Amino acid sequence: MTLSLEERWTLIDKISRETVTFGKYEHTLKDAIGELTVKPLTGIPVAIAIMYGFWSAFGSFAGTLMTDGFFVKLFDGYWLPWLQGAFPGQGSWLYSIMVDAGGLGGSEFVLSDTCFEAFGVLTSGIFVAIGVVLPAISIFYLMLALLEDVGYMPRLAVLLDTVLHRVGLHGYAIVPTILSLGCNVPGVAATRILETKKQRFIMMTLLAIFIPCGAQIGIMDKVVPALMGWILLYLIIGYFIFGYILNKVVPGKAPEFLIDVPPYRKPLMRNITKKIWGRITGFFKVALPFVMLGCAIVNVLYLLGVIQWLGDVLAPIFVGWFGVPKETAGPLVAAFLRKDLAVAQLSVINMTDYQRITAVVLVTIYFPCVATFAMMLKEGWKELIAAIGVLIIVVFTYGGLIHLIGIILGVAE
Amino acid sequence: MTVQSQSQLQSESSSTAAIYFAILGIVTTAFGLADLLVTAGGAEFVYGTAILEIPNDIFRGGWGGLVVLSAGLFYLSGAKNIGEIHQFAKVAMGSILIWIMAGSDIFAMITESIPGGEDGSWFNTLDGFLAMYAPPYAPAVLLLPFSLVVLYYIYHRD
Repeated sequence: MTLSLEERWTLIDKISRETVTFGKYEHTLKDAIGELTVKPLTGIPVAIAIMYGFWSAFGSFAGTLMTDGFFVKLFDGYWLPWLQGAFPGQGSWLYSIMVDAGGLGGSEFVLSDTCFEAFGVLTSGIFVAIGVVLPAISIFYLMLALLEDVGYMPRLAVLLDTVLHRVGLHGYAIVPTILSLGCNVPGVAATRILETKKQRFIMMTLLAIFIPCGAQIGIMDKVVPALMGWILLYLIIGYFIFGYILNKVVPGKAPEFLIDVPPYRKPLMRNITKKIWGRITGFFKVALPFVMLGCAIVNVLYLLGVIQWLGDVLAPIFVGWFGVPKETAGPLVAAFLRKDLAVAQLSVINMTDYQRITAVVLVTIYFPCVATFAMMLKEGWKELIAAIGVLIIVVFTYGGLIHLIGIILGVAE
Repeated sequence: MTVQSQSQLQSESSSTAAIYFAILGIVTTAFGLADLLVTAGGAEFVYGTAILEIPNDIFRGGWGGLVVLSAGLFYLSGAKNIGEIHQFAKVAMGSILIWIMAGSDIFAMITESIPGGEDGSWFNTLDGFLAMYAPPYAPAVLLLPFSLVVLYYIYHRD
Protein backbone atom coordinates (compact mmCIF):
# COMPACT_ATOMS: atom_id res chain seq x y z
CA MET A 1 0.00 0.00 0.00
CA THR A 2 1.40 3.39 -0.95
CA LEU A 3 0.33 6.52 0.93
CA SER A 4 0.35 9.98 -0.54
CA LEU A 5 2.25 12.77 1.22
CA GLU A 6 -0.94 14.18 2.71
CA GLU A 7 -2.06 10.76 3.93
CA ARG A 8 1.30 10.21 5.59
CA TRP A 9 1.04 13.47 7.52
CA THR A 10 -2.55 12.62 8.53
CA LEU A 11 -1.36 9.26 9.82
CA ILE A 12 1.51 10.91 11.72
CA ASP A 13 -0.94 13.36 13.31
CA LYS A 14 -3.24 10.50 14.32
CA ILE A 15 -0.43 8.44 15.86
CA SER A 16 1.01 11.43 17.72
CA ARG A 17 -2.45 12.36 19.10
CA GLU A 18 -2.79 8.85 20.50
CA THR A 19 0.74 8.43 21.81
CA VAL A 20 2.18 11.84 22.74
CA THR A 21 1.04 13.63 25.88
CA PHE A 22 1.33 17.40 25.72
CA GLY A 23 1.65 19.47 28.86
CA LYS A 24 3.87 21.86 30.74
CA TYR A 25 7.19 20.29 31.76
CA GLU A 26 8.01 20.96 35.39
CA HIS A 27 11.73 21.57 35.89
CA THR A 28 13.31 19.40 38.57
CA LEU A 29 16.07 20.55 40.91
CA LYS A 30 18.53 18.46 38.88
CA ASP A 31 17.50 20.31 35.69
CA ALA A 32 17.85 23.70 37.38
CA ILE A 33 21.30 22.83 38.80
CA GLY A 34 22.28 21.53 35.34
CA GLU A 35 21.34 24.90 33.82
CA LEU A 36 23.36 26.78 36.45
CA THR A 37 26.51 24.86 35.54
CA VAL A 38 26.23 25.80 31.85
CA LYS A 39 25.41 29.52 32.07
CA PRO A 40 28.67 31.57 32.21
CA LEU A 41 27.69 33.82 35.13
CA THR A 42 26.95 30.90 37.45
CA GLY A 43 28.87 28.16 35.64
CA ILE A 44 32.30 29.80 35.91
CA PRO A 45 32.26 30.01 39.77
CA VAL A 46 31.12 26.37 39.84
CA ALA A 47 33.96 25.37 37.47
CA ILE A 48 36.43 27.28 39.68
CA ALA A 49 35.10 25.41 42.75
CA ILE A 50 35.27 22.00 41.04
CA MET A 51 38.83 22.63 39.87
CA TYR A 52 39.71 23.67 43.45
CA GLY A 53 38.33 20.40 44.80
CA PHE A 54 40.13 18.50 42.04
CA TRP A 55 43.56 19.96 42.80
CA SER A 56 43.09 19.93 46.54
CA ALA A 57 42.29 16.20 46.47
CA PHE A 58 45.21 15.65 44.06
CA GLY A 59 47.72 17.41 46.34
CA SER A 60 46.40 15.86 49.56
CA PHE A 61 46.30 12.28 48.28
CA ALA A 62 49.27 12.14 45.90
CA GLY A 63 51.59 14.61 47.64
CA THR A 64 50.85 14.57 51.37
CA LEU A 65 49.58 11.04 51.90
CA MET A 66 51.24 8.74 49.37
CA THR A 67 54.50 10.36 48.17
CA ASP A 68 55.60 12.32 51.25
CA GLY A 69 53.77 10.13 53.77
CA PHE A 70 54.90 6.69 52.66
CA PHE A 71 56.88 6.41 49.41
CA VAL A 72 59.66 8.88 50.32
CA LYS A 73 60.21 6.93 53.56
CA LEU A 74 60.14 3.61 51.74
CA PHE A 75 62.47 4.59 48.92
CA ASP A 76 64.89 6.90 50.77
CA GLY A 77 64.95 4.96 54.03
CA TYR A 78 65.04 1.37 52.79
CA TRP A 79 65.23 0.88 49.00
CA LEU A 80 68.09 3.33 48.24
CA PRO A 81 70.44 2.34 51.13
CA TRP A 82 69.83 -1.36 50.41
CA LEU A 83 70.58 -0.99 46.69
CA GLN A 84 73.62 1.22 47.36
CA GLY A 85 75.07 -1.58 49.48
CA ALA A 86 73.87 -4.62 47.54
CA PHE A 87 74.66 -3.53 43.97
CA PRO A 88 78.26 -4.34 43.11
CA GLY A 89 80.90 -1.98 41.66
CA GLN A 90 80.26 1.30 43.47
CA GLY A 91 81.46 4.21 41.29
CA SER A 92 81.48 2.14 38.09
CA TRP A 93 79.52 3.13 34.97
CA LEU A 94 76.89 0.44 35.47
CA TYR A 95 76.48 1.41 39.12
CA SER A 96 76.07 5.08 38.16
CA ILE A 97 73.48 4.29 35.52
CA MET A 98 71.48 1.75 37.52
CA VAL A 99 71.78 2.88 41.17
CA ASP A 100 73.50 6.14 42.02
CA ALA A 101 75.24 8.66 39.78
CA GLY A 102 76.85 10.06 42.93
CA GLY A 103 76.50 13.76 42.22
CA LEU A 104 76.02 14.07 38.47
CA GLY A 105 78.72 16.00 36.72
CA GLY A 106 80.80 16.46 39.88
CA SER A 107 84.45 15.39 40.03
CA GLU A 108 84.08 13.24 43.16
CA PHE A 109 81.69 10.29 43.66
CA VAL A 110 79.41 10.92 46.67
CA LEU A 111 76.60 8.55 47.64
CA SER A 112 73.22 10.27 47.40
CA ASP A 113 70.84 10.62 50.35
CA THR A 114 67.59 10.60 48.42
CA CYS A 115 66.16 8.94 45.35
CA PHE A 116 65.67 12.40 43.84
CA GLU A 117 69.44 12.94 43.83
CA ALA A 118 70.56 9.41 42.89
CA PHE A 119 69.38 9.50 39.24
CA GLY A 120 69.74 5.74 38.82
CA VAL A 121 67.30 3.67 36.76
CA LEU A 122 66.51 1.43 39.75
CA THR A 123 66.38 4.32 42.25
CA SER A 124 65.11 7.59 40.74
CA GLY A 125 63.46 5.78 37.81
CA ILE A 126 61.41 3.44 40.00
CA PHE A 127 60.78 6.11 42.65
CA VAL A 128 59.41 8.58 40.07
CA ALA A 129 57.29 5.90 38.40
CA ILE A 130 55.88 4.22 41.52
CA GLY A 131 56.32 6.80 44.27
CA VAL A 132 55.37 9.99 42.41
CA VAL A 133 53.56 9.25 39.15
CA LEU A 134 51.42 6.25 40.20
CA PRO A 135 49.62 8.03 43.11
CA ALA A 136 49.38 11.22 41.05
CA ILE A 137 47.74 9.63 38.02
CA SER A 138 45.57 7.31 40.16
CA ILE A 139 43.85 10.19 41.98
CA PHE A 140 43.88 12.31 38.84
CA TYR A 141 42.11 9.69 36.72
CA LEU A 142 39.69 8.88 39.57
CA MET A 143 38.59 12.53 39.78
CA LEU A 144 38.41 12.80 35.99
CA ALA A 145 36.32 9.61 35.70
CA LEU A 146 33.94 10.92 38.39
CA LEU A 147 33.49 14.24 36.56
CA GLU A 148 32.90 12.41 33.27
CA ASP A 149 30.41 9.91 34.67
CA VAL A 150 28.48 12.45 36.77
CA GLY A 151 27.96 14.39 33.52
CA TYR A 152 29.98 17.49 34.33
CA MET A 153 32.54 17.28 31.49
CA PRO A 154 30.05 17.99 28.65
CA ARG A 155 28.87 21.04 30.64
CA LEU A 156 32.45 22.23 31.07
CA ALA A 157 32.89 21.77 27.30
CA VAL A 158 29.83 23.97 26.63
CA LEU A 159 30.99 26.55 29.17
CA LEU A 160 34.48 26.87 27.65
CA ASP A 161 33.40 26.61 24.01
CA THR A 162 33.47 30.38 23.33
CA VAL A 163 36.92 30.81 24.91
CA LEU A 164 38.40 27.81 23.11
CA HIS A 165 37.05 29.03 19.75
CA ARG A 166 39.42 31.98 20.11
CA VAL A 167 42.32 29.53 19.84
CA GLY A 168 40.80 27.64 16.91
CA LEU A 169 39.42 24.81 19.03
CA HIS A 170 36.01 24.06 20.53
CA GLY A 171 34.59 22.97 23.86
CA TYR A 172 35.59 19.31 23.46
CA ALA A 173 39.26 20.39 23.42
CA ILE A 174 38.95 20.47 27.21
CA VAL A 175 39.04 16.63 27.20
CA PRO A 176 42.58 16.22 25.74
CA THR A 177 43.71 19.26 27.75
CA ILE A 178 42.61 17.80 31.09
CA LEU A 179 43.74 14.27 30.13
CA SER A 180 47.21 15.69 29.41
CA LEU A 181 47.45 17.00 32.95
CA GLY A 182 47.62 13.29 33.90
CA CYS A 183 49.88 12.16 31.06
CA ASN A 184 50.49 13.83 27.68
CA VAL A 185 50.41 10.46 25.89
CA PRO A 186 46.62 9.79 26.20
CA GLY A 187 46.12 13.54 25.74
CA VAL A 188 47.73 13.40 22.30
CA ALA A 189 45.66 10.29 21.46
CA ALA A 190 42.48 12.13 22.53
CA THR A 191 43.10 14.93 19.99
CA ARG A 192 41.41 12.55 17.52
CA ILE A 193 38.02 13.67 18.87
CA LEU A 194 38.63 17.00 17.10
CA GLU A 195 37.29 17.13 13.56
CA THR A 196 39.85 18.94 11.38
CA LYS A 197 43.60 18.64 10.82
CA LYS A 198 44.03 22.27 11.86
CA GLN A 199 42.33 21.66 15.21
CA ARG A 200 44.30 18.47 15.87
CA PHE A 201 47.59 20.21 15.05
CA ILE A 202 46.85 23.22 17.27
CA MET A 203 45.72 20.97 20.13
CA MET A 204 48.70 18.61 19.87
CA THR A 205 51.16 21.51 19.76
CA LEU A 206 49.58 23.31 22.73
CA LEU A 207 49.49 20.08 24.77
CA ALA A 208 53.12 19.30 24.04
CA ILE A 209 54.23 22.81 24.97
CA PHE A 210 52.01 24.22 27.70
CA ILE A 211 50.42 21.33 29.59
CA PRO A 212 52.59 19.81 32.35
CA CYS A 213 51.92 16.12 32.98
CA GLY A 214 51.03 14.54 36.34
CA ALA A 215 54.67 13.55 36.99
CA GLN A 216 55.83 17.12 36.50
CA ILE A 217 53.02 18.60 38.56
CA GLY A 218 53.68 16.04 41.31
CA ILE A 219 57.37 17.01 41.45
CA MET A 220 56.67 20.76 41.14
CA ASP A 221 54.24 20.41 44.04
CA LYS A 222 56.99 18.74 46.04
CA VAL A 223 60.01 20.91 45.23
CA VAL A 224 58.57 24.38 44.42
CA PRO A 225 55.10 24.38 46.07
CA ALA A 226 55.09 28.12 46.80
CA LEU A 227 55.71 29.00 43.14
CA MET A 228 53.16 26.62 41.59
CA GLY A 229 50.50 29.33 41.16
CA TRP A 230 52.82 31.61 39.17
CA ILE A 231 54.17 28.78 37.04
CA LEU A 232 50.66 27.57 36.12
CA LEU A 233 49.55 31.16 35.44
CA TYR A 234 52.39 31.66 32.94
CA LEU A 235 51.50 28.36 31.27
CA ILE A 236 47.78 29.21 30.98
CA ILE A 237 48.56 32.65 29.52
CA GLY A 238 51.01 31.07 27.04
CA TYR A 239 48.40 28.44 26.05
CA PHE A 240 45.97 31.16 25.00
CA ILE A 241 48.46 33.61 23.44
CA PHE A 242 50.13 31.01 21.23
CA GLY A 243 46.80 29.24 20.56
CA TYR A 244 45.43 32.54 19.26
CA ILE A 245 48.50 33.04 17.03
CA LEU A 246 48.38 29.45 15.73
CA ASN A 247 44.68 29.87 14.91
CA LYS A 248 45.54 32.92 12.78
CA VAL A 249 48.57 31.31 11.10
CA VAL A 250 47.59 27.66 10.53
CA PRO A 251 45.37 27.18 7.47
CA GLY A 252 42.19 25.09 7.73
CA LYS A 253 38.78 25.08 9.34
CA ALA A 254 37.67 25.20 12.97
CA PRO A 255 34.01 24.12 12.86
CA GLU A 256 31.34 24.64 15.50
CA PHE A 257 30.35 21.67 17.61
CA LEU A 258 26.97 20.28 18.59
CA ILE A 259 26.67 18.42 21.84
CA ASP A 260 23.86 16.62 23.62
CA VAL A 261 24.29 17.54 27.29
CA PRO A 262 23.19 14.53 29.35
CA PRO A 263 21.40 14.89 32.70
CA TYR A 264 23.46 14.57 35.89
CA ARG A 265 23.75 10.93 36.89
CA LYS A 266 25.04 8.90 39.80
CA PRO A 267 28.34 7.34 38.66
CA LEU A 268 28.63 3.55 38.58
CA MET A 269 31.55 2.09 40.53
CA ARG A 270 32.12 -0.59 37.85
CA ASN A 271 32.55 2.01 35.09
CA ILE A 272 34.83 4.17 37.22
CA THR A 273 37.16 1.28 38.12
CA LYS A 274 37.24 0.12 34.49
CA LYS A 275 38.23 3.58 33.27
CA ILE A 276 40.92 4.09 35.92
CA TRP A 277 42.36 0.62 35.34
CA GLY A 278 42.47 1.14 31.56
CA ARG A 279 44.18 4.52 31.84
CA ILE A 280 46.73 3.48 34.47
CA THR A 281 47.71 0.28 32.67
CA GLY A 282 47.90 2.33 29.45
CA PHE A 283 50.34 4.70 31.16
CA PHE A 284 52.48 1.85 32.47
CA LYS A 285 52.61 0.11 29.10
CA VAL A 286 53.35 3.18 26.94
CA ALA A 287 55.03 5.79 29.14
CA LEU A 288 56.82 3.79 31.86
CA PRO A 289 59.46 2.22 29.56
CA PHE A 290 60.37 5.76 28.46
CA VAL A 291 60.68 6.90 32.10
CA MET A 292 63.24 4.15 32.79
CA LEU A 293 65.01 4.57 29.45
CA GLY A 294 65.08 8.36 29.94
CA CYS A 295 66.88 7.93 33.27
CA ALA A 296 69.46 5.63 31.73
CA ILE A 297 70.12 7.90 28.72
CA VAL A 298 70.43 11.04 30.90
CA ASN A 299 73.02 9.24 33.05
CA VAL A 300 74.99 8.01 30.03
CA LEU A 301 75.00 11.52 28.52
CA TYR A 302 76.15 13.00 31.83
CA LEU A 303 78.90 10.39 32.17
CA LEU A 304 80.06 11.03 28.60
CA GLY A 305 80.15 14.76 29.36
CA VAL A 306 77.65 15.52 26.55
CA ILE A 307 75.20 17.38 28.77
CA GLN A 308 77.97 19.47 30.38
CA TRP A 309 79.29 20.32 26.91
CA LEU A 310 75.85 21.25 25.59
CA GLY A 311 75.22 23.22 28.78
CA ASP A 312 78.45 25.19 28.29
CA VAL A 313 77.67 25.87 24.64
CA LEU A 314 74.11 26.99 25.38
CA ALA A 315 74.92 28.83 28.63
CA PRO A 316 75.14 32.32 27.02
CA ILE A 317 71.59 31.86 25.65
CA PHE A 318 70.25 30.66 29.00
CA VAL A 319 71.93 33.46 30.94
CA GLY A 320 71.53 36.31 28.46
CA TRP A 321 68.18 35.54 26.83
CA PHE A 322 66.24 33.64 29.50
CA GLY A 323 67.91 35.25 32.55
CA VAL A 324 68.52 31.97 34.39
CA PRO A 325 71.87 30.90 35.97
CA LYS A 326 74.47 29.02 33.88
CA GLU A 327 74.01 25.88 36.02
CA THR A 328 70.43 25.44 34.77
CA ALA A 329 71.68 24.70 31.25
CA GLY A 330 72.45 21.04 32.10
CA PRO A 331 69.03 20.18 33.61
CA LEU A 332 67.28 22.11 30.82
CA VAL A 333 69.09 20.06 28.18
CA ALA A 334 68.38 16.84 30.08
CA ALA A 335 64.69 17.84 30.35
CA PHE A 336 64.16 16.46 26.86
CA LEU A 337 64.47 12.99 28.35
CA ARG A 338 63.09 13.42 31.88
CA LYS A 339 61.21 16.66 32.56
CA ASP A 340 60.24 15.65 36.10
CA LEU A 341 63.82 14.87 37.13
CA ALA A 342 64.96 18.12 35.51
CA VAL A 343 62.58 20.00 37.84
CA ALA A 344 64.13 18.11 40.77
CA GLN A 345 67.63 19.05 39.54
CA LEU A 346 66.62 22.71 39.22
CA SER A 347 65.38 22.76 42.81
CA VAL A 348 68.91 22.34 44.19
CA ILE A 349 70.43 25.17 42.11
CA ASN A 350 70.82 28.48 43.91
CA MET A 351 68.66 31.13 42.18
CA THR A 352 66.02 33.76 42.82
CA ASP A 353 62.31 32.89 42.93
CA TYR A 354 61.71 34.58 39.58
CA GLN A 355 64.60 32.68 37.97
CA ARG A 356 63.14 29.45 39.40
CA ILE A 357 59.70 30.27 37.94
CA THR A 358 61.34 30.99 34.55
CA ALA A 359 63.43 27.81 34.67
CA VAL A 360 60.46 25.55 35.58
CA VAL A 361 58.25 27.19 32.92
CA LEU A 362 61.07 26.62 30.42
CA VAL A 363 61.31 22.93 31.37
CA THR A 364 57.57 22.59 30.79
CA ILE A 365 57.43 24.39 27.44
CA TYR A 366 60.66 22.73 26.34
CA PHE A 367 60.59 19.64 24.09
CA PRO A 368 57.87 17.18 25.13
CA CYS A 369 59.09 14.05 26.89
CA VAL A 370 60.22 11.13 24.70
CA ALA A 371 56.95 9.19 25.24
CA THR A 372 54.87 12.13 23.98
CA PHE A 373 57.31 12.56 21.13
CA ALA A 374 56.78 8.95 20.08
CA MET A 375 53.00 9.39 20.32
CA MET A 376 53.12 12.55 18.19
CA LEU A 377 55.19 10.72 15.60
CA LYS A 378 52.40 8.13 15.38
CA GLU A 379 50.00 10.93 14.45
CA GLY A 380 52.21 11.92 11.49
CA TRP A 381 55.84 12.98 10.94
CA LYS A 382 54.91 16.18 9.07
CA GLU A 383 52.81 17.34 12.02
CA LEU A 384 55.63 16.41 14.39
CA ILE A 385 58.20 18.47 12.48
CA ALA A 386 55.81 21.42 12.26
CA ALA A 387 55.11 21.12 16.02
CA ILE A 388 58.86 21.12 16.76
CA GLY A 389 59.26 24.26 14.63
CA VAL A 390 56.48 25.99 16.60
CA LEU A 391 57.99 24.74 19.84
CA ILE A 392 61.43 26.21 19.14
CA ILE A 393 59.89 29.59 18.29
CA VAL A 394 57.68 29.45 21.42
CA VAL A 395 60.56 28.54 23.74
CA PHE A 396 62.65 31.46 22.56
CA THR A 397 59.93 34.09 22.35
CA TYR A 398 58.02 33.10 25.50
CA GLY A 399 61.19 32.44 27.53
CA GLY A 400 62.52 35.85 26.47
CA LEU A 401 59.15 37.49 27.19
CA ILE A 402 59.06 36.08 30.75
CA HIS A 403 62.59 37.43 31.27
CA LEU A 404 61.49 40.84 29.90
CA ILE A 405 58.44 40.90 32.22
CA GLY A 406 60.80 40.19 35.13
CA ILE A 407 63.07 43.08 34.09
CA ILE A 408 60.07 45.44 33.81
CA LEU A 409 58.79 44.32 37.24
CA GLY A 410 62.27 44.76 38.67
CA VAL A 411 62.65 41.12 39.76
CA ALA A 412 65.10 40.07 37.05
CA GLU A 413 68.22 41.60 35.54
CA MET B 1 -5.47 19.34 55.60
CA THR B 2 -7.09 21.75 53.13
CA VAL B 3 -5.30 23.00 50.03
CA GLN B 4 -5.33 26.56 51.43
CA SER B 5 -3.66 25.61 54.75
CA GLN B 6 -1.10 23.46 52.89
CA SER B 7 -0.06 26.37 50.67
CA GLN B 8 0.02 28.68 53.73
CA LEU B 9 2.38 26.20 55.42
CA GLN B 10 4.58 26.09 52.31
CA SER B 11 4.67 29.87 52.18
CA GLU B 12 5.71 30.07 55.86
CA SER B 13 8.38 27.46 55.25
CA SER B 14 9.62 29.44 52.23
CA SER B 15 9.90 32.68 54.18
CA THR B 16 11.80 30.91 57.00
CA ALA B 17 14.13 29.42 54.38
CA ALA B 18 14.56 32.81 52.70
CA ILE B 19 15.57 34.48 55.99
CA TYR B 20 17.86 31.60 56.96
CA PHE B 21 19.70 31.49 53.64
CA ALA B 22 19.91 35.28 53.39
CA ILE B 23 21.67 35.37 56.79
CA LEU B 24 23.86 32.41 55.81
CA GLY B 25 24.62 34.22 52.53
CA ILE B 26 25.74 37.37 54.35
CA VAL B 27 28.00 35.37 56.70
CA THR B 28 29.42 33.27 53.86
CA THR B 29 30.09 36.34 51.70
CA ALA B 30 31.84 38.00 54.65
CA PHE B 31 34.02 34.90 55.15
CA GLY B 32 34.85 34.85 51.42
CA LEU B 33 35.87 38.50 51.46
CA ALA B 34 37.89 37.93 54.64
CA ASP B 35 39.71 35.04 52.93
CA LEU B 36 40.64 37.26 50.00
CA LEU B 37 41.66 40.21 52.17
CA VAL B 38 43.80 38.06 54.49
CA THR B 39 45.48 36.47 51.45
CA ALA B 40 46.14 39.90 49.97
CA GLY B 41 47.53 41.06 53.34
CA GLY B 42 49.82 38.05 53.58
CA ALA B 43 49.51 37.34 57.34
CA GLU B 44 47.48 34.39 58.65
CA PHE B 45 44.44 35.28 60.80
CA VAL B 46 43.44 33.22 63.85
CA TYR B 47 40.42 34.34 65.88
CA GLY B 48 40.13 34.32 69.70
CA THR B 49 40.90 30.96 71.29
CA ALA B 50 41.71 29.63 67.85
CA ILE B 51 38.37 28.39 66.51
CA LEU B 52 38.61 30.17 63.20
CA GLU B 53 41.68 30.27 61.00
CA ILE B 54 41.64 32.20 57.77
CA PRO B 55 44.33 30.83 55.45
CA ASN B 56 46.66 33.28 53.73
CA ASP B 57 48.14 31.12 50.98
CA ILE B 58 47.17 31.79 47.38
CA PHE B 59 45.57 28.34 46.94
CA ARG B 60 43.35 28.03 50.03
CA GLY B 61 42.95 31.72 50.79
CA GLY B 62 42.91 33.15 47.27
CA TRP B 63 41.34 30.47 45.10
CA GLY B 64 39.38 29.01 48.04
CA GLY B 65 38.26 32.49 49.12
CA LEU B 66 36.84 33.06 45.67
CA VAL B 67 34.82 29.84 45.99
CA VAL B 68 33.47 30.80 49.46
CA LEU B 69 32.59 34.27 48.16
CA SER B 70 30.75 32.68 45.20
CA ALA B 71 28.85 30.39 47.60
CA GLY B 72 27.76 33.45 49.59
CA LEU B 73 26.57 35.21 46.44
CA PHE B 74 24.66 32.08 45.36
CA TYR B 75 22.86 32.05 48.73
CA LEU B 76 22.04 35.77 48.56
CA SER B 77 20.88 35.58 44.97
CA GLY B 78 18.70 32.49 45.58
CA ALA B 79 17.16 33.58 48.90
CA LYS B 80 14.65 35.91 47.22
CA ASN B 81 11.62 33.96 45.95
CA ILE B 82 13.19 30.74 47.18
CA GLY B 83 10.03 28.74 46.44
CA GLU B 84 10.77 28.97 42.72
CA ILE B 85 12.86 25.99 41.58
CA HIS B 86 15.57 27.98 39.76
CA GLN B 87 16.04 30.24 42.78
CA PHE B 88 16.19 27.25 45.11
CA ALA B 89 18.77 25.65 42.79
CA LYS B 90 21.06 28.65 43.44
CA VAL B 91 20.78 28.07 47.19
CA ALA B 92 21.52 24.37 46.68
CA MET B 93 24.51 25.33 44.53
CA GLY B 94 25.79 27.62 47.31
CA SER B 95 25.73 24.62 49.67
CA ILE B 96 27.44 22.39 47.08
CA LEU B 97 30.32 24.90 46.83
CA ILE B 98 30.66 24.89 50.63
CA TRP B 99 30.69 21.06 50.60
CA ILE B 100 33.47 21.07 47.98
CA MET B 101 35.55 23.50 50.06
CA ALA B 102 34.90 21.85 53.42
CA GLY B 103 35.29 18.37 51.90
CA SER B 104 38.69 19.37 50.51
CA ASP B 105 39.80 20.75 53.90
CA ILE B 106 38.61 17.66 55.79
CA PHE B 107 40.23 15.33 53.24
CA ALA B 108 43.49 17.29 53.65
CA MET B 109 43.25 16.81 57.45
CA ILE B 110 42.70 13.06 57.00
CA THR B 111 45.68 12.67 54.64
CA GLU B 112 47.91 14.64 57.01
CA SER B 113 46.79 12.70 60.08
CA ILE B 114 47.59 9.17 58.84
CA PRO B 115 51.37 9.07 58.07
CA GLY B 116 54.01 9.38 60.80
CA GLY B 117 56.31 12.38 61.15
CA GLU B 118 59.81 13.13 59.94
CA ASP B 119 61.29 10.67 62.48
CA GLY B 120 60.59 7.84 60.04
CA SER B 121 57.67 6.05 61.73
CA TRP B 122 55.18 4.76 59.19
CA PHE B 123 51.97 5.79 60.96
CA ASN B 124 51.01 8.66 63.25
CA THR B 125 50.50 8.11 66.98
CA LEU B 126 46.92 8.21 68.30
CA ASP B 127 47.55 11.60 69.95
CA GLY B 128 49.10 13.00 66.80
CA PHE B 129 46.24 11.60 64.73
CA LEU B 130 43.56 13.21 66.93
CA ALA B 131 45.48 16.50 67.19
CA MET B 132 45.14 16.97 63.44
CA TYR B 133 41.37 17.29 63.83
CA ALA B 134 41.52 19.92 66.59
CA PRO B 135 40.58 23.55 65.83
CA PRO B 136 41.25 26.11 64.36
CA TYR B 137 39.14 25.41 61.29
CA ALA B 138 38.89 27.18 57.95
CA PRO B 139 35.66 29.18 57.30
CA ALA B 140 34.18 26.51 54.98
CA VAL B 141 34.45 23.84 57.71
CA LEU B 142 32.64 26.12 60.18
CA LEU B 143 29.95 26.84 57.57
CA LEU B 144 29.49 23.15 56.74
CA PRO B 145 26.82 22.26 59.38
CA PHE B 146 24.79 25.36 58.50
CA SER B 147 24.94 24.54 54.79
CA LEU B 148 23.50 21.06 55.41
CA VAL B 149 20.09 22.63 56.23
CA VAL B 150 19.50 22.74 52.48
CA LEU B 151 19.10 18.93 52.55
CA TYR B 152 15.99 19.35 54.74
CA TYR B 153 14.42 21.63 52.15
CA ILE B 154 15.42 19.37 49.25
CA TYR B 155 13.84 16.39 51.04
CA HIS B 156 10.62 18.29 51.82
CA ARG B 157 10.40 19.72 48.32
CA ASP B 158 10.55 16.18 46.87
